[in-house]
Amino acid sequence: MTRSNIAALLCVALVAFSPAFAATSAAPACRQSTARSGGAAEVAAAIDKLRPLLSEAQLAIFERPFDYANATHWSNLPIGLVPRTTLRLGDLDARQTAAARQVLIAALSACGLELLDEVRRADDFLVPFDKRPIGWGAGNYYLAVLGKPSPTTPWMLQFGGHHLAYNFTFNGRQPGATPLFFGSEPIRFEVQGATHEPLSAQSRAMSALAASIAPQAGAKLSGTFTDVVKGVLMSGPPGPDFKGGTDSGFPQSYPTGDSDRGIPVRMLTPAQRQLVRDAIESYASLPGRSISAALLAAYEGTTALDATYVGFAGSPDFSTKGSYVRIDGPRVWMEFVVQPAVAKPEDLHYHALWRDKQSDYGGEAGR
Amino acid sequence: MRIASSLRRALLLAMLVGAASAHLAPSSIVRLEFRDAGVRGEYWIPASELEYARAADPGGTLPAYLLRHVAAESANGARWRVEVASVRQADYLGHPYFVAELMLAPPAGSPAAAFVLVDDAVTHEVRNHVVYVVTRQGAESTLAGALQYPARRLDVRAR
Repeated sequence: MTRSNIAALLCVALVAFSPAFAATSAAPACRQSTARSGGAAEVAAAIDKLRPLLSEAQLAIFERPFDYANATHWSNLPIGLVPRTTLRLGDLDARQTAAARQVLIAALSACGLELLDEVRRADDFLVPFDKRPIGWGAGNYYLAVLGKPSPTTPWMLQFGGHHLAYNFTFNGRQPGATPLFFGSEPIRFEVQGATHEPLSAQSRAMSALAASIAPQAGAKLSGTFTDVVKGVLMSGPPGPDFKGGTDSGFPQSYPTGDSDRGIPVRMLTPAQRQLVRDAIESYASLPGRSISAALLAAYEGTTALDATYVGFAGSPDFSTKGSYVRIDGPRVWMEFVVQPAVAKPEDLHYHALWRDKQSDYGGEAGR
Repeated sequence: MRIASSLRRALLLAMLVGAASAHLAPSSIVRLEFRDAGVRGEYWIPASELEYARAADPGGTLPAYLLRHVAAESANGARWRVEVASVRQADYLGHPYFVAELMLAPPAGSPAAAFVLVDDAVTHEVRNHVVYVVTRQGAESTLAGALQYPARRLDVRAR
């Protein structure tokens, strides 16, 4: 065993047993989809059962054209800043709520559904700590269908709120699981004696990867990271009347060449390559398998994986703000960043983003 | 009653913009105003992000730092004269900012109505940092574009 491998193992062990990663959550590993969900026909059938329960007014906000403006209208900002105008979960009655839940069950893996529940729970947790009209709260999450659900023609299911944006495109030119944003504030919290850590699987996977590559030359990215790099942008002249905060920067450009992208996966040991796969799967396991299987195959094929770079900045154990990990492949773009918290600024919070360089919005959201 | 309503709206706005700065890593804003002989600019830089940039490039005063990272040139590559006339501190969206007043002047014979802004202030260090470039024509502002690492050149013209 080489000295760098020993150092890597020590780093992984340090991360695994550091206080920040004490076993406080019952969250499963969430590395693989646990159900054959996410099929266009299956999700469309669930939507067909929800539609008759909605009023005309609700249908008008639930069903939108599949165009650039609607597709890119997601954000990591709460609704007080970036209003969502589609079907608000908090406005649904019990039957509608149950039917909407079935739509999400049809589209998501068990991991994706659990993340959704935990992120909404975290939003509820913040309500007593921050009384500004920001829009914290589990009810402030929204569901929409862009285009007409069909087993064959392109359409999109959009679900999101403050710290979650699921954008799934069916029957697009490309498989469409992205853009997929998720975050958590607080990182960890207790409700009725139970500890919750919404991004447990992803933070552990990305942190283990960072710790493993940290000793190796070229793994450290230059610069400072105070948020994800390929996130939302303002869309109008900055001023007191806040404009934008959505994905108006789409389509994005990405780094090319070998410089400052981290270390190529082809340089990693088999154990480290497995850490890369674990980290990719911690994100890609969120949509139903039918949505993400082709993407996962594209990312983890030997040629693609060899051409992928992994890099980090800050602390691999995610104990400080500015800690950052990125997976940057021929198609895959996954980021994880540690930021100061908002409701309790002395704490930290997480943002994570998965984009696909070819198939955001299924390749169907041209300007 | 109208005053109370206005006050409520102002308070709500203040709370929301504070939240905006807290949720969105604060951005830089360059406001440009075209004049006959050149361009006047106001460069708004968030203190928190500038701190990271100055840690990476600590030399000299803030004007000296800006002159190392901000330039202007004509489409043919002719360099403009750039001066930092003043620096002050201000709050924007609930976040402390430095505001530098810039004067950009084209070389003799070059028109002042269009130029290339060459700028990597803060973005040379903070990878997610965005510089929004706004042109002002009277009371109206238009977003001319945005710069984020590694992009550092933006075509700007009078409307």
